[in-house]
Amino acid sequence: MNIYAFWILNAILFLGQLILLLFLAWRKQKLTAKERTITEQYDALTDVFSSYMMDPSDERFIQEIHSASHKGVVLERLLNGYVSVTKGSVTSPLVAKLSEDFLTARYAKQLMRKSWAIRMNTLYFIEDFHMQSLTPLLKEKLRKTVRLDQETQQLIRTLASLNEPITISVLAQYPDAPVRLYIDVFKRLEEHSSLEELNAALSEETNNKALKHAAISYIGMAGLIAFLPRIEKELQTQDVEIRIQALKSIFHLQYISDPILLTPFFQSLSWQERMFASQIAGRLQLSRFKEVLSELLGDSVWWVRYSSAEALTQFSDGDILLTHLSAYHPDRFARDMATQWKSSLLGSEK
Amino acid sequence: MHTFFLILSYVVIAYMLFSSLSYLGLFFLAFGKVKREDKLDRRESTEDFLRNQNTYPVSILVPAYNEEVGVVSTVRSLLALEYPEKEVIVIDDGSKDKTSECMIKEFNMTQIPFAVRTHIQTAQINSIYQSSIFPYIRLIKKANGGKADALNAGINLSSYPYFCAIDGDSILENDGLLKTMKPIIESDGQIIVTGGSVRIANGSTISRSKVEVIGLPKNPIVLMQIIEYFRAFLIGRLALSHLNILLIVSGAFGVFNKERVIQAGGYNKNTVGEDMELVVRLHRLLREEKSKQRIEYIPDPVCWTEAPESLEVLRSQRIRWQRGLFETLWSHRKMMLNPKYGAIGLFSMPYFLFVELLGAVFEFLGYFIIFGGFFFSLVDPNIAGVLFLVTIFYGSLISALAVLLEELTLHKYPKVSHLMRLYFWALTEAFWYRPLMVIWRIQGIFAVFQKKAHWGDMKRKGISS
Repeated sequence: MNIYAFWILNAILFLGQLILLLFLAWRKQKLTAKERTITEQYDALTDVFSSYMMDPSDERFIQEIHSASHKGVVLERLLNGYVSVTKGSVTSPLVAKLSEDFLTARYAKQLMRKSWAIRMNTLYFIEDFHMQSLTPLLKEKLRKTVRLDQETQQLIRTLASLNEPITISVLAQYPDAPVRLYIDVFKRLEEHSSLEELNAALSEETNNKALKHAAISYIGMAGLIAFLPRIEKELQTQDVEIRIQALKSIFHLQYISDPILLTPFFQSLSWQERMFASQIAGRLQLSRFKEVLSELLGDSVWWVRYSSAEALTQFSDGDILLTHLSAYHPDRFARDMATQWKSSLLGSEK
Repeated sequence: MHTFFLILSYVVIAYMLFSSLSYLGLFFLAFGKVKREDKLDRRESTEDFLRNQNTYPVSILVPAYNEEVGVVSTVRSLLALEYPEKEVIVIDDGSKDKTSECMIKEFNMTQIPFAVRTHIQTAQINSIYQSSIFPYIRLIKKANGGKADALNAGINLSSYPYFCAIDGDSILENDGLLKTMKPIIESDGQIIVTGGSVRIANGSTISRSKVEVIGLPKNPIVLMQIIEYFRAFLIGRLALSHLNILLIVSGAFGVFNKERVIQAGGYNKNTVGEDMELVVRLHRLLREEKSKQRIEYIPDPVCWTEAPESLEVLRSQRIRWQRGLFETLWSHRKMMLNPKYGAIGLFSMPYFLFVELLGAVFEFLGYFIIFGGFFFSLVDPNIAGVLFLVTIFYGSLISALAVLLEELTLHKYPKVSHLMRLYFWALTEAFWYRPLMVIWRIQGIFAVFQKKAHWGDMKRKGISS
């Protein structure tokens, strides 16, 4: 065995590592210096940016951003900071204007970059800043996609945030498109488009189960009470998954036109249906179901016992009922559950 | 005799070269994924989930034994977690210190009756407390039964479909849970376990669950553990996760699908390596069911933990780890080289046996022959020299490479001086740190024959202010 070969192997590896080390140290130094400059420019522009956002006639920010050597990154960070604070409120036309003026060309280029992470970040920012001018480019990109990977999913979300209902039909081309992605699209579309798409999703002709599932869930989440009759109609469907979603949606809407509609679900073979029916009875304080809730306290499924006890706490005489049930219910597990919820009521009184 | 040692030398040299190459091979497998996500804005990619009602609620389990120093700050850090729906369950496994008293006082807890579902049998539950300030914080006081038993009790009490197990001495970053749940949510439940990357907190400044300044500790023992983490996480776990054959999700932090864990029988109380054993059992379950569900590891650091600063504590930790590894491989020996378990049986299990477990034995033999060759003519000094060089290659240069690869991909340590210090300390590994590890790991193999499983005996200082 030739020891020199191993000496050479180790020496080459060590020297190779030293070269890599020096390169990485140089790169780190450079990146740190660049980051420092960006931070300095960001700090210097923060005040004038705030003034501009409050009063667009104060044009100092526009003049100063032009002279910043890293204007793209700095503006991106300033706008991102602004939208993350005001997230959920109405889209700011100023954010859209600034980003359209300064970032359109940069983002158009970035969308074509080889780096997946940069393309993803760009899609996130286009969504955050509502950059309408990039819609044609994004639609073209979507047209060329063949797989519903992470990037395509974000592309769809971004386009939906720019109010492009085409995203629903594109999604429908993928049979395995997840429910949560449809919901993400409904959430992002403007109210008018969203209502139209929900209507279409609930129509008889729809064979897309994921889309229907998403529409029912979204209606509950968004509290769209106008859709209640459509949701109640879904309680009659043969598809148990859709029925469960409809019950969940009614629970969120906190309203039911006729409590009789709930009755069959307390005896359902599906424990999820029994659970949601109990939850709705509690949330809506439907006292006619007190007796059935007391029975469900002894259900074979823990979640049903838990929900029915929780539902009983919602009634004004819930503490008396639970005290009675904790002592006299024929089922031991029901007594335990009643005891647990009885004490939670005592806690809330403290 | 001479011939015996000569052959042994060749075996050790071949082993070390093979292991080094397998490390490099695994790294190159993982490199693409890490590099791909390097520039991704993590905040942007998770912020949508914050307002999303479609995230799965998570129960956070904090098993604690004599954790009076760290438990309150851990729970406080969990309160600061950005996640739409969560509950925190601290399980005091019969501590002898004031773990429970600290919790009860700090969070104004009162004893409650609770209808616990006994999915998994555990030692006796003495009492359950609930915070009157934050009703979603609960405390279980139970008889001592070990960490696995404590986690099982937490699973029994938990209400949500996913649970996250976190050590009582660890701090989770604000968006750590969101980042770790993201693959589970996006896969619509096809991923049943995610392991978060764990980083050593010593030397960094952590305040209110946020890492304010990332720094390096002065203590060389801790520095070497940081390098070891790079080597283990970047070179090993990422690639194994990529191939869906990852056998370890750190006990310090991981998220699990509760139903699957209950189906698998919960944590095993008869091993000190309950985290690895559970993951292997879940893999076994998935393979036996021919399920397409996966176990995944995410490279982004989300959990910060306190590393031992003294040799004594480090020794006991390593003995425990090695013992846990041995026990897991032994109890699932049926899977070894068994084609029924796919790549897990044919690649992962043999890899963990030969590289992770028996590596210490080969390395020990290597050091023995080098010493014997140079000082007692046990083998030709030329062969001892080759072995010496291969040991440096295997022990130091691979670790130094791991430091460089971390800088190339994740580059979490901000200063050039950090990089330099880590690199040059890594070069010293084969001369002092590795021999120590080798001895303790061999002791760990022998420790398997001790009967009792117990909690690690870590002297805490606390890592968050």
